[in-house]
Amino acid sequence: MQDAENVAVPEAAEERAEPGQQQPAAEPPPAEGLLRPAGPGAPEAAGTKASSEEVGVAEAGPELEVRTEPAAEAEAASGPSESPSPPASEEPPGSHAEPPAPTQGEAPGEQARDERSDSRAQAASEDAGGNEGRAAEAEPRALENGDADEPSFSDPEDFVDDVSEEELLGDVLKDRPQEADGIDSVIVVDNVPQVGPDRLEKLKNVIHKIFSKFGKITNDFYPEEDGKTKGYIFLEYASPAHAVDAVKNADGYKLDKQHTFRVNLFTDFDKYMTISDEWDIPEKQPFKDLGNLRYWLEEAECRDQYSVIFESGDRTSIFWNDVKDPVSIEERARWTETYVRWSPKGTYLATFHQRGIALWGGEKFKQIQRFSHQGVQLIDFSPCERYLVTFSPLMDTQDDPQAIIIWDILTGHKKRGFHCESSAHWPIFKWSHDGKFFARMTLDTLSIYETPSMGLLDKKSLKISGIKDFSWSPGGNIIAFWVPEDKDIPARVTLMQLPTRQEIRVRNLFNVVDCKLHWQKNGDYLCVKVDRTPKGTQGVVTNFEIFRMREKQVPVDVVEMKETIIAFAWEPNGSKFAVLHGEAPRISVSFYHVKNNGKIELIKMFDKQQANTIFWSPQGQFVVLAGLRSMNGALAFVDTSDCTVMNIAEHYMASDVEWDPTGRYVVTSVSWWSHKVDNAYWLWTFQGRLLQKNNKDRFCQLLWRPRPPTLLSQEQIKQIKKDLKKYSKIFEQKDRLSQSKASKELVERRRTMMEDFRKYRKMAQELYMEQKNERLELRGGVDTDELDSNVDDWEEETIEFFVTEEIIPLGNQE
Amino acid sequence: MKPILLQGHERSITQIKYNREGDLLFTVAKDPIVNVWYSVNGERLGTYMGHTGAVWCVDADWDTKHVLTGSADNSCRLWDCETGKQLALLKTNSAVRTCGFDFGGNIIMFSTDKQMGYQCFVSFFDLRDPSQIDNNEPYMKIPCNDSKITSAVWGPLGECIIAGHESGELNQYSAKRSGRAAPSLPLHSSPCPTSPRKALFTDFPPAFSLQLFDSTTLEHQKTFRTERPVNSAALSPNYDHVVLGGGQEAMDVTTTSTRIGKFEARFFHLAFEEEFGRVKGHFGPINSVAFHPDGKSYSSGGEDGYVRIHYFDPQYFEFEFEA
Repeated sequence: MQDAENVAVPEAAEERAEPGQQQPAAEPPPAEGLLRPAGPGAPEAAGTKASSEEVGVAEAGPELEVRTEPAAEAEAASGPSESPSPPASEEPPGSHAEPPAPTQGEAPGEQARDERSDSRAQAASEDAGGNEGRAAEAEPRALENGDADEPSFSDPEDFVDDVSEEELLGDVLKDRPQEADGIDSVIVVDNVPQVGPDRLEKLKNVIHKIFSKFGKITNDFYPEEDGKTKGYIFLEYASPAHAVDAVKNADGYKLDKQHTFRVNLFTDFDKYMTISDEWDIPEKQPFKDLGNLRYWLEEAECRDQYSVIFESGDRTSIFWNDVKDPVSIEERARWTETYVRWSPKGTYLATFHQRGIALWGGEKFKQIQRFSHQGVQLIDFSPCERYLVTFSPLMDTQDDPQAIIIWDILTGHKKRGFHCESSAHWPIFKWSHDGKFFARMTLDTLSIYETPSMGLLDKKSLKISGIKDFSWSPGGNIIAFWVPEDKDIPARVTLMQLPTRQEIRVRNLFNVVDCKLHWQKNGDYLCVKVDRTPKGTQGVVTNFEIFRMREKQVPVDVVEMKETIIAFAWEPNGSKFAVLHGEAPRISVSFYHVKNNGKIELIKMFDKQQANTIFWSPQGQFVVLAGLRSMNGALAFVDTSDCTVMNIAEHYMASDVEWDPTGRYVVTSVSWWSHKVDNAYWLWTFQGRLLQKNNKDRFCQLLWRPRPPTLLSQEQIKQIKKDLKKYSKIFEQKDRLSQSKASKELVERRRTMMEDFRKYRKMAQELYMEQKNERLELRGGVDTDELDSNVDDWEEETIEFFVTEEIIPLGNQE
Repeated sequence: MKPILLQGHERSITQIKYNREGDLLFTVAKDPIVNVWYSVNGERLGTYMGHTGAVWCVDADWDTKHVLTGSADNSCRLWDCETGKQLALLKTNSAVRTCGFDFGGNIIMFSTDKQMGYQCFVSFFDLRDPSQIDNNEPYMKIPCNDSKITSAVWGPLGECIIAGHESGELNQYSAKRSGRAAPSLPLHSSPCPTSPRKALFTDFPPAFSLQLFDSTTLEHQKTFRTERPVNSAALSPNYDHVVLGGGQEAMDVTTTSTRIGKFEARFFHLAFEEEFGRVKGHFGPINSVAFHPDGKSYSSGGEDGYVRIHYFDPQYFEFEFEA
């Protein structure tokens, strides 16, 4: 806590000092970073990020500073911070009207500072250089006026400044002293032990020890009554920032069993006293009828929808998937600027724009919500579809975290902004399966936030030194994380229940190189893929540590593999998993089954596979092994119930494989983003029968519209499975009908085409016959209309050739 | 069906053509050799030597007495088919891109490239008037100001030629002394190879499709879509079939594998515009295809320098669309 002050305070202090004042927009954040010399506070700042998590401002602020520090140091070295040399970029627009006199700027700069609460200079020590620089810019006018020898630069009397002060030196004005400055630094501490004069000195010492952590205490007051202290005290700090810090950190401090401090700002009393007792009923928001957002689930044929982006992103279409041909629902030009995303339950379609995100839905794909986030690049939905997380690298400033914003989808309001460290992988925030919690990892820290407050769970982050990766269980509020080896302490994987933070399982591992966490989709199993270098051996061995989550104490079993692992995937609704292993071109796939008694059984291994990715059907059982990109798009369709390869096929240069949400169809595609020719998507059945080849000009991306989880109970599903024969008869009949209809249509179309063509040809032939005489004339009376005309004139010659014959089918006879 | 591979050229094939009877196959390439083969077994009958540059075009007259070739060595040459003797040398200012005998075999036509400051011209010579050949003075020379001719064929009865321009325009030029004849057809672009039969005519814009036009009225009839450029096409003489040759552009070939290039001859039904077969084999784009006049075989010449003669399997003749 001690360390945090130099970091967290400046921002908080500024906020407090100017609650109503707008941040000048012209100031780019990097410039500010550059301007700030490496003051005494800076090295400390570098070392202390973990402890101040309470607000986003304080949390990520230090990270940014750390990154800009080297630049700042360079700056400081080239010109000492005493003589301000503001970089040109720092000047607010319009400052050219009054050229600064940098050489003389120092003294007035100091003066200006003196007027402020002098203690602030210390508090914001790392900020001081910057402030001096700015103050220096602001002051030169006074100087010039005083100097008679110089030619007069002063304005004529009737001169009206067309630049407002706010515009000219907004950054300095922001720091101008406020009337309330004095009281701002005062805190009130309740529940202080009541002591007589004899022990007052001791109490004062204790209090001082506790509260001077947050800043220099300039004044204290212990009210007394009947020779005893009253049980509450007043402390004044050197700066309001310190007071805020003290409130944040010392409130709830347990001095002993009887005394738990309650710490408040003195000004808060004022603030809360003046709140009106009357309550205004919030205005009722008009209800916007968006229609049935889940209409697509009511489709009679139970077809699915998908979105297609083509023409290199210029056009986006939504289609019904149909066995015959896709049926277009909506097609729009420039619907999105980059790509689109469906929400996890398929309710919304998100499109990306320079200015933010738009959500579309309902039957006509009307706009439902907009989220303004300049330069947004990445988004993530919460699994419950209630919140949207957006990321933009453009907007972040130190005072106002806007790199990552969490929005409420229903209201469209911004819930909270966060800073972003460059290193993290998207999604930076991982959601728990029910959307109640979200978490992110920073150095040595795991921060878990709760909805809807968006605050830290229990107001505290978890300190886990060395944490490398974490992952939520998709089946419960359990978080798994792992920590690498540290000297003699083994690496460990921990499973933690939330919100209780109870560790339900810890597993220690040795000689670990890397770990990957793979949850089965229901959260029944967790597989930790552990790459190890056991002592006395060369190379890496991979262990699959299988945690059985549904059993008491979470038993763990291990499968060891000596070969390189290319891919791993759980069967979504089952207890099987598939592993691709080996070195190209000798790649094998192994299917394992986790039995009820915990034994892990190898069901089947296929060798010589052309695959680098595993795609399980969302319903389980069926799997597509695909050799994407470098492996030319080889596809193998496998049924894992009896482990048969149903079909081997190829979609040359395929870059993507997408199962439909019901597991009936698979789409393979060649995206223009990865390959510039033959951009198309092909539709297959789950057995690997090719249904359609859809060539689209510069096709980019196909995404199936997800379906929400089924509303049927387990019993109902069982019943349906039992009565499958009854249903399948109906469906087969329907299929036959539509098929015969389709072929009828095709035949009909061909017939009309043939009829037209015959008519045309007849006409042409008549013309041709009419010209017969002219032809004969042209060729000197020889009839050449038929190949074997004038046979009489032929001289016969017999030539013998030896020809070997071989029959090769004529390719693609469809 | 095992194809007969003709290896007589060192450079990419530019054009192949059967004579009227179909017993001979003429092939020209970007090397100076003009070859003639027996189509039945692929045996080479002989060569016509004399050109000093790439040969762009070849044609034989209806009774296979004469052969006409046009070359980038700025000449068009007339040969005696049987002896291989050069009968005439017509010098030009730029490369000869297309050439052809009219229906009667008496009038020859050739077009020259817009090149080296010279315009594109279409020249007509009457072989019955030896002075025209001797003086290299065509009885008619039509300048094409806008865009050069990339492909030209004689229209029915030798009344006009139909030319495809680089800009994609399709024009008819009257072979009578009057000059250019209507109608002209704008709209299409890039090389427009052609192939005539009866009253049909083909042409290829770059949107990777083949379009079929009426050769008298230049009315659009059919469109056959592909995913690759089409360089050449031929109509079957006795079936409603059309064969398309093409593939990835030659300049991109070195960067792509043969599979992605799709160097296949593709067969479409003329009326339904539906594809029903493909023949692989070339490892470069197919530059020229031709049907044997009896419709029982076809040949293709590719950028890879090979000519392949394919005799159809019985399945081909049995195949029918359900209609």
